[in-house]
Amino acid sequence: MNYDYEVEEPVSLSMNPYTGAWTQAEAAHLLRRTLFGPTYQQIQDTVTNGMAASVSQILNPIAVGTPEVVSTDEAVATMGGTWVSSPLPSTNQAVTENARRNSLAAWIMQRLNTSSYSIQEQMCLFWQNHFAAEFTFDSRATYNYHEVIRTHCLGNFKQLVKDITIDPCMLVFLSGTENNKFDPNENFARELFELYTIGKGPQIGPGDYTNYKEEDIQEAAKILTGWLALGLGSDTDNDTYAQFEPLLHDETTKTLSEHFDNAVINPNGANEYADLIDTIFLQDEVANFICRKLYRWFVNYDLTTTVENTVIVEMANTFRTNNYEILPVLSELFQSEHFYDVALRGAIIRNPLEHLFSIFNSTHSVPNYTTPENYALYEFAYGVAATTGMSYAQPPSVGGWTAYYQAPSYSQLWVNSTYVKLRFNVSDWLTLAGGFTAGGNNLEVNHLDFLDNLSVPADPNAVIDDMILVFCPKGLDIVKRTTLKTILTNGLPDFEWTIQYNDYANDPGNPTFADPVEQRVALTLSQLFKMPEFQTI
Amino acid sequence: MKRRSFVKNVSLASFGVPFVFRNTQYEAIAKKLFNVPKNNEDRVLVLIRLNGGNDGLNTVVPLDGYDNLMIQRPNVILPENDLIPVVGDNGFHPVMTGMASMINDGKLSIIQNVGYPEQNRSHFRSMDIWTTGMMDPNITTGWLGRHFEVDHPDYPDGYPNSTFEEPFAISMGYELSATCQGTQANFSHSVVDPTDSTSLPNTGGTNDGTYYGDHMEYLEGIIAQSNQYGQEISNAAGQGNNMSTLYDANNPLAMQLKDVALMISGGLKTKVYVLNVNGFDTHDNQVIDGATTTGTHADLMKQVSDAVHAFQDDIDQLGLSDRVAGMTFSEFGRQIASNASEGTDHGDAAPLFLFGNCLNTTLYGDNPVIPDTVVDQAGLPMQIDFRDVYASVLKDWFGVDETTVQGLFEHTVTFHNIIGACNLSTEEQSLSSSTGISMVYPNPCSSKSTVKLDGDGSEVKIVLYNTLGERMSVIYEGILSKATHHIPFEMDEFSRGSYVVKIMRADSTESVSLIKI
Repeated sequence: MNYDYEVEEPVSLSMNPYTGAWTQAEAAHLLRRTLFGPTYQQIQDTVTNGMAASVSQILNPIAVGTPEVVSTDEAVATMGGTWVSSPLPSTNQAVTENARRNSLAAWIMQRLNTSSYSIQEQMCLFWQNHFAAEFTFDSRATYNYHEVIRTHCLGNFKQLVKDITIDPCMLVFLSGTENNKFDPNENFARELFELYTIGKGPQIGPGDYTNYKEEDIQEAAKILTGWLALGLGSDTDNDTYAQFEPLLHDETTKTLSEHFDNAVINPNGANEYADLIDTIFLQDEVANFICRKLYRWFVNYDLTTTVENTVIVEMANTFRTNNYEILPVLSELFQSEHFYDVALRGAIIRNPLEHLFSIFNSTHSVPNYTTPENYALYEFAYGVAATTGMSYAQPPSVGGWTAYYQAPSYSQLWVNSTYVKLRFNVSDWLTLAGGFTAGGNNLEVNHLDFLDNLSVPADPNAVIDDMILVFCPKGLDIVKRTTLKTILTNGLPDFEWTIQYNDYANDPGNPTFADPVEQRVALTLSQLFKMPEFQTI
Repeated sequence: MKRRSFVKNVSLASFGVPFVFRNTQYEAIAKKLFNVPKNNEDRVLVLIRLNGGNDGLNTVVPLDGYDNLMIQRPNVILPENDLIPVVGDNGFHPVMTGMASMINDGKLSIIQNVGYPEQNRSHFRSMDIWTTGMMDPNITTGWLGRHFEVDHPDYPDGYPNSTFEEPFAISMGYELSATCQGTQANFSHSVVDPTDSTSLPNTGGTNDGTYYGDHMEYLEGIIAQSNQYGQEISNAAGQGNNMSTLYDANNPLAMQLKDVALMISGGLKTKVYVLNVNGFDTHDNQVIDGATTTGTHADLMKQVSDAVHAFQDDIDQLGLSDRVAGMTFSEFGRQIASNASEGTDHGDAAPLFLFGNCLNTTLYGDNPVIPDTVVDQAGLPMQIDFRDVYASVLKDWFGVDETTVQGLFEHTVTFHNIIGACNLSTEEQSLSSSTGISMVYPNPCSSKSTVKLDGDGSEVKIVLYNTLGERMSVIYEGILSKATHHIPFEMDEFSRGSYVVKIMRADSTESVSLIKI
């Protein structure tokens, strides 16, 4: 193993619109980076519709429902309804809260198990990694925090920062509720600069991190004093909410350092936090900081000097010109020459959620039971994703998941000697061993539906080509391709597969024909899912 | 017996008393002891995480505070008559018979009131603090990960290799312990079944010179590493053995510890094993109403106590006693007062257990003080920083030098004299009592302490000295029968600082340092 050798840099650093060939390979690249696992048909549609129309469609938000009550442990809201605006019970709150947390986790997993042609879930996870708050002790607040993210995930970043700053979940997570004029708490103020907006530059003097100083943190903490998170744990309030308490607010005039042009923030009560954020956003570095993170998430972990001086400059310029609207930046990026450069294909190792849900989504595998039964399976999926290294709504630290910031390994951190074994176990489980089981129901790869929707299911060569297109960003060499085809056809001549498939297609309900076909696909996919090529996007 | 750490107490600046002990015999030993002992290279540490925040006050009950506990926690308090009396006016939860017998054998140590400043009561954040050993929220490396990284900064690049064929650490179960997280990779390898020798298919990867190609090469290497570690582990498990009959097949922790003993006895060179027990977040139904010795917490503590006892029994029978030590940890203790749901809420400090054959004491630190009035949300204040417990284990168990240990932490480390009683060469051991290790507990102490020693039917004189070598009191003088004796003595009248308890016999002299706080 060697981590540090020179790799070939992209040929094109241009953000001009990509004008090269628009083939399955480019379409699949776009979808692998923006969805949680495209289907074969989605790749074909993307080829047909062309780049501009496809990108435009992907950048549309989609509607989602609300998490449902599926457990009798819920003591207030009714079964089948939602709990997100129901108070907690007066007694045994932990039981109800636990049911709600499970419901929330299952609901998020359900959202990822989607064939929707939208970047929305990738953006939600991106912002969850950016504003890396954890589950609070009241799932209504956790849900609301995720709703703030979802509402703005493709909208205005400045507004997102403002809303997150006074979000009850965040106020609890970073001690905002303990920040008052008598006893200022710098916890949130520090992360506002360091992680959320402008980023920490090199230390160039005592308490001076290039982009901000320790004294800015102190002043910001004072500006942010006076916010309370109310309704958490309440058995009367329907919702959790933030409230400004003037008596706890520091009403002095605050002055930021020269990194913010010595900006003066005058007393402005409940709107003072917004004044602070507006002031921070006057600095060009905010756009640079966020665009670097978007680049790492969607393009490549390696921010070389040349990328920094070209791509990032361009992206940040677009971001500022559009008053921190996120959509124009992504639209430009996903249509750029740089994004489609072949040297960047497969440059990212799938995170555990991408690993799990691309296996499901690309094979049309969705549980079709009652909502409580589906949720039980999704709770299971949540646990599996957590075991393989990624618990949604519970990032490992306030900085998010290490794979998105930890040099030099970055996404290689998702696969260590243990996780690789777990990944292989999971994919074997889903293909060969009946899948996840909860309450007597299964969630496994839908082999036959996947097969039936490929280009020419009766032709084993086409089946293998299509599988590789869907799952492997840079194809497979001839040896591996042959290995897979030998597994699919059981080493028999191609026509034997064709006969077997046609027999099944003519009588799909007959297990005599269906079972052998299903088994061959399962064996082939299980092998494919254990190849290094599949681990990348 | 504690001369190594005894001499090193020079660095215990926090107690403010310069240590000078005028005895040439000990100075000679001291010089030798400043060198890292050679016998720690094959040492193993077993860490058991009690996940959720263990209720220390229903685990180790301070009997001197029992009346006030009655006031504070009527809904969960354990009946006084049911408690198992252990050292220093403490009583164990009645299910902890296994651990109580280990205390009697000197193989379990209670470290009182362990925590950290400004306790964070979030499970997640507090567990981060306990696993990283750092208060800085941006640190993601674990304390053991940083320890391994000192000698292996490039890990996992180039590992395993011919010198290090085996994983540095093993996490039992699927979750890799955050304590072993390094900068680039976790130093632990997860083991569910050590006898599993199946290999992953390694189809290989071609490096085409792109980022993708880099990943192909990396993944090929990581699959090979997984297979190689798996092979070493299953080989060791195949050659290993278990001797104890105390393992209960229905006790999940015991079965995991049994596997750990199997791997160690099979010759696996792994230094750290991490295990996990969930369920300690006992906000409600910690006890069964009206029968407080039963319920969730009783089941958990029985599991832990029985498992650790069986493991120690196995390790002893396997002849591995001087190589294996263990420690429990939990992200916080629970509040002093019980709640209305037969439970307890997130609190602050709590006791921590060390176990093994090389402990310096069976009780370290004072019993927690229980106020007679309920203060809303009050937890127990911390007295001993868990990071200093880690630091002391690294120094005295793994033999890491003090400067290196300090470099692994952000706070100024204070070393505690808690483990490493086996850190003596044969020559030094011959100077000591032939009948076994003597102990002074609690240590540090406040008003009184106790000497525990084995008698051999001959004359013994036990004297307390101050650091200037002045005699403070005679603790005991006379013949001690062939048994283990516990001899209490008063410290009330002496000022705070370092002392020495000297145990003199006809053929040997032993000294134990004692701190009064």
